[in-house]
Amino acid sequence: MIKKTIQKLLFFYLVIITNASALIEIDITEGNREPLPIAVTNFFYAEDAIKDLDQISIDVSKVISADLERSGLFKSIDQEAFIQKTASMHIRPRHEDWRLINAQALVTGELEVDKDKLRVEFRLWDTFAEKEIEALVLITTIDNWRRISHMIADKIYERLTGEEGYFDTRILYVSENGPKNNRIKKLAIMDQDSFNHRYLTSGKELVLTPRFNPVKQEITYLSYFKNLPRVYLLDIQTGIQEVVGDFPGMTFAPRFSPDGEKIIMSLARDGNSDIYVMDIKSRVVERLTDSPAIDTSPSYSPDGKKITFNSDRGGSQQIYVMDNKGRNQTRISRGTGNYATPVWSPRGDLIAFTKNFQGRYFIGVMRTDGSGERLLTENWYQEAPSWSSNGRVLIFYRETKADDTGKGHSSSLWSIDLTGFNERKIETPEDASDPSWSRLIQ
Amino acid sequence: MRSSILSSIVLHLAIMMMAIVSLPIFNNPDLEIPPIVQVELIEISEKTNVPKVSKKKDKKEVKKIEEKEVEKINQPVMKPKVEKSNEKVKDASDKDEIVKNKIEQKMFENIPIKKPVIKKKDKFDPLKIAELIDKSKDTKTVEEDIEDLEYDALDSTPSLDNKLTLSEEDAIRAQFMQCWSIPIGIPFDDTMIVKIKISLNTDGSLLEPPEVLQHERMNKPSEKYFRTLAESALRAVRRCDPIKAPDINRYESWKKIQLNFDPREILRG
Repeated sequence: MIKKTIQKLLFFYLVIITNASALIEIDITEGNREPLPIAVTNFFYAEDAIKDLDQISIDVSKVISADLERSGLFKSIDQEAFIQKTASMHIRPRHEDWRLINAQALVTGELEVDKDKLRVEFRLWDTFAEKEIEALVLITTIDNWRRISHMIADKIYERLTGEEGYFDTRILYVSENGPKNNRIKKLAIMDQDSFNHRYLTSGKELVLTPRFNPVKQEITYLSYFKNLPRVYLLDIQTGIQEVVGDFPGMTFAPRFSPDGEKIIMSLARDGNSDIYVMDIKSRVVERLTDSPAIDTSPSYSPDGKKITFNSDRGGSQQIYVMDNKGRNQTRISRGTGNYATPVWSPRGDLIAFTKNFQGRYFIGVMRTDGSGERLLTENWYQEAPSWSSNGRVLIFYRETKADDTGKGHSSSLWSIDLTGFNERKIETPEDASDPSWSRLIQ
Repeated sequence: MRSSILSSIVLHLAIMMMAIVSLPIFNNPDLEIPPIVQVELIEISEKTNVPKVSKKKDKKEVKKIEEKEVEKINQPVMKPKVEKSNEKVKDASDKDEIVKNKIEQKMFENIPIKKPVIKKKDKFDPLKIAELIDKSKDTKTVEEDIEDLEYDALDSTPSLDNKLTLSEEDAIRAQFMQCWSIPIGIPFDDTMIVKIKISLNTDGSLLEPPEVLQHERMNKPSEKYFRTLAESALRAVRRCDPIKAPDINRYESWKKIQLNFDPREILRG
């Protein structure tokens, strides 16, 4: 009895010792940073469908591929390389065929029309695990297929990168036309991929600094009325416009609070510019800074507790942070040069800015305490960064230098990834400046 | 009653004996070992860091190391005299260097835990061993004989001979690094590390599906970032299947491996 017990104990002891020592650990702390290869197939539809879906099937796939590729994190595999054809795919993908062409992820889908409604079903497959990792059905009107495609791209992006997508978003900007000293400026809005472009104002009045409300389809902007700047609110869906207020003196850079209930801006009185916040409903205005210097470009942190702004109170234009009551004003930018247009990231971890140093302009980011400054892009003239909804990409505008005769001047929108890579020009019908990127459309 | 007490005493004694025999805490620490390991770790990491070697290592040095690797891998039970015997790879400068770092070199070449990178061409070849042994006999010098004695004294840890070398670990690591597409959108978090256990066949292919050890985190709705990370790591494991197998003689040591996919430094930015 005792012998048996000892034998058993010895056995378990040895098993534990052996197992503990057998498993070696290897740490993988680096990876491949190449874009992830993904195959997006044309969406399947029944040949006897009521409506011919041939073109939509191709276009949905194209929009998804283009969105993913534009992010710089994905590489869309050319459909010419596909081995398995769409017809058999809606049953089940042959994963080995997709691995052969190095696709790590595969997108398949099916279209169906029922009573003038388009039903889009999509599936995302992990070709190495040979399993479906995301599936969704979206129903919309047929002519809304483009937005559905962006929403699918967002789902794919989120599932594979772990981060919210930013494709079902819009860009608001100032469209410019004409000679430099007599520019016609109109408010314009478009999808983030430059489609569905439309103008919101006629161009009779000068418009400046348009900004999205983070929670509503509403914008605020500055426009001149009888040579006086006014802050306007415009509901994009209804087209209803209202004047927020006539303020004595100059007004600059209105921007919404994260809850969309307030507008923060700078007002100039007696040659001194300070930060003010106004409650939209009650129209009560509260002064937040009171320094003899020029305080401008305020922007809230996503939790609404802090505000960043720029001020020249220290002798040069620098970035400051304070709480939402105007207390604890602290300078955070420490480098050489002038810093302007600070914008708090929707993720809350960074502040984007424009920096002017030795005649060159930079778009950069720093942590909210001013540490870890990184300059992402440099040019002759560029400014006004605005964050994508997920805090990964910045949009800004860049101007080209005019020659002595005043020709050659142009301005356009650009985007750049937080890593400083994937810089891309954003197409607009005319010159463009002062962009604002919306949150995901609700 | 009496038998119970007796069995209790016997059992307690048995457990204590087993603990004394097998737990390292009861062994007298060898005071000379720690400095040896320390010196050696530095040497090995420099020489076996795969990307560095391929980029900028001195050609002669690399060649020398490679030749030694070939010999060592082909005959794991052999003494270092065989490696030393290959005069072709030694020029004057090499020799100077060896003399200068004599003790460290010996340690480096002798402790079995530090076996170098396995390469495809380094297949086990008994005929080649015979050749090398013959050669070593012909070319051995008095100085090397003395060194051999020192090696014999140092090489007293045969049980470690089956352990995966740092170089082999580096080789495995490099393969998974290539296969892993890091989901860089994941926000930084100190707990973002995925532990995956893999079981391998002798040819380096997966014996069974890879297993994420943190099961509980995989299915929590609040852990979507972890799930994305874990899936990317699983894809990397499958994408790398089969890996280039390390020395088959040490199969026991690498048939089960825990891979820790740790993107924290990258995510921190």
